[in-house]
Amino acid sequence: MGLLAREIEAAGVTTSSLALVKEVAVAARAPRFAYVHWPFGHALGEPGNVAQQLTVLHDLLSMATSAPRPGLVIELPYRWRREEYQPVIDWTRPSATALSALAWV
Amino acid sequence: MASPAYKPLKQEVPVNQNGGPGPGRRSWLAKLIGGWITPEGTEGVFTGEGGGPARTRAGRLNELFARWFSNTASGGRFARWLSKTIALPQLRRLTDETIPWTPLRKPLSECKVVLLTTGGVHLRGDKPFNLNSDSTFRIIPRDARAGDLAISHQAYDRTDALKDINLVFPLERLSELEANHVIGRLADEHYGFGLEGNAQKLIPSIKEVARRISQASVDLALLVPA
Repeated sequence: MGLLAREIEAAGVTTSSLALVKEVAVAARAPRFAYVHWPFGHALGEPGNVAQQLTVLHDLLSMATSAPRPGLVIELPYRWRREEYQPVIDWTRPSATALSALAWV
Repeated sequence: MASPAYKPLKQEVPVNQNGGPGPGRRSWLAKLIGGWITPEGTEGVFTGEGGGPARTRAGRLNELFARWFSNTASGGRFARWLSKTIALPQLRRLTDETIPWTPLRKPLSECKVVLLTTGGVHLRGDKPFNLNSDSTFRIIPRDARAGDLAISHQAYDRTDALKDINLVFPLERLSELEANHVIGRLADEHYGFGLEGNAQKLIPSIKEVARRISQASVDLALLVPA
């Protein structure tokens, strides 16, 4: 998937990718990756949990708008099935999660 | 703008959209143990219920492994290890230090967005991905509903994704974001990939999809794994 992101980005289109295996995301050297430590088949979370899915999409979109340089892999801190997700209020601003993760990479 | 230093992937085999591996011969092992291993050639063998997506039937043993990968800590660790073992050497070979970079040029609310998944999602009427390995891609139109889709992938437990396809292909969520003007608009075509352990074989499909996305004047591509 990282190769796909690299090729799309090289064709002039911004990419933002989710990852479930951190080492693979790092090795892929894709433009922007957000890694979440959840089970395979659950990149957006649990079935029917719309707030959770939108939270991840907000983080992914925030990576697209706010990653300052190529090759960054941020780690989303959500624990599997042990988080409460709030509705996203302001989509025009990057998510606090993505911004604080970007401050650490 | 694309970085001039980025070396494009070398394409060695012709493009092969929707023309995945046909119904091959069953291996001696598959013959020996019947329905336990996914046979080559899994065309059209769907099991689906209600208005949700359908799934291509995998071998019982493959299904057990997929459940172990997705639902247990030990299986998850093993699948991550397997994924690293398969992917890392290939990625080292096929990438270099130069990372292409195209910053977003407009606010999200004006961006045309495309969704890509490697979760084996495709239209029910399309040829299913070969479950053992398939380097082709499928086009999923923007108005596809959950009931129009199918999942052909055997490396993860599809139970939850069949209940809510947004877990691997969040098109419904993105249409809501489009309706709420969070993103500008969805592209007409979105893309599904299946399971393929050989990255070199994927290159023609990758190049073709990148070409299509670029030609469709897409601003932002979101990639979701299985």
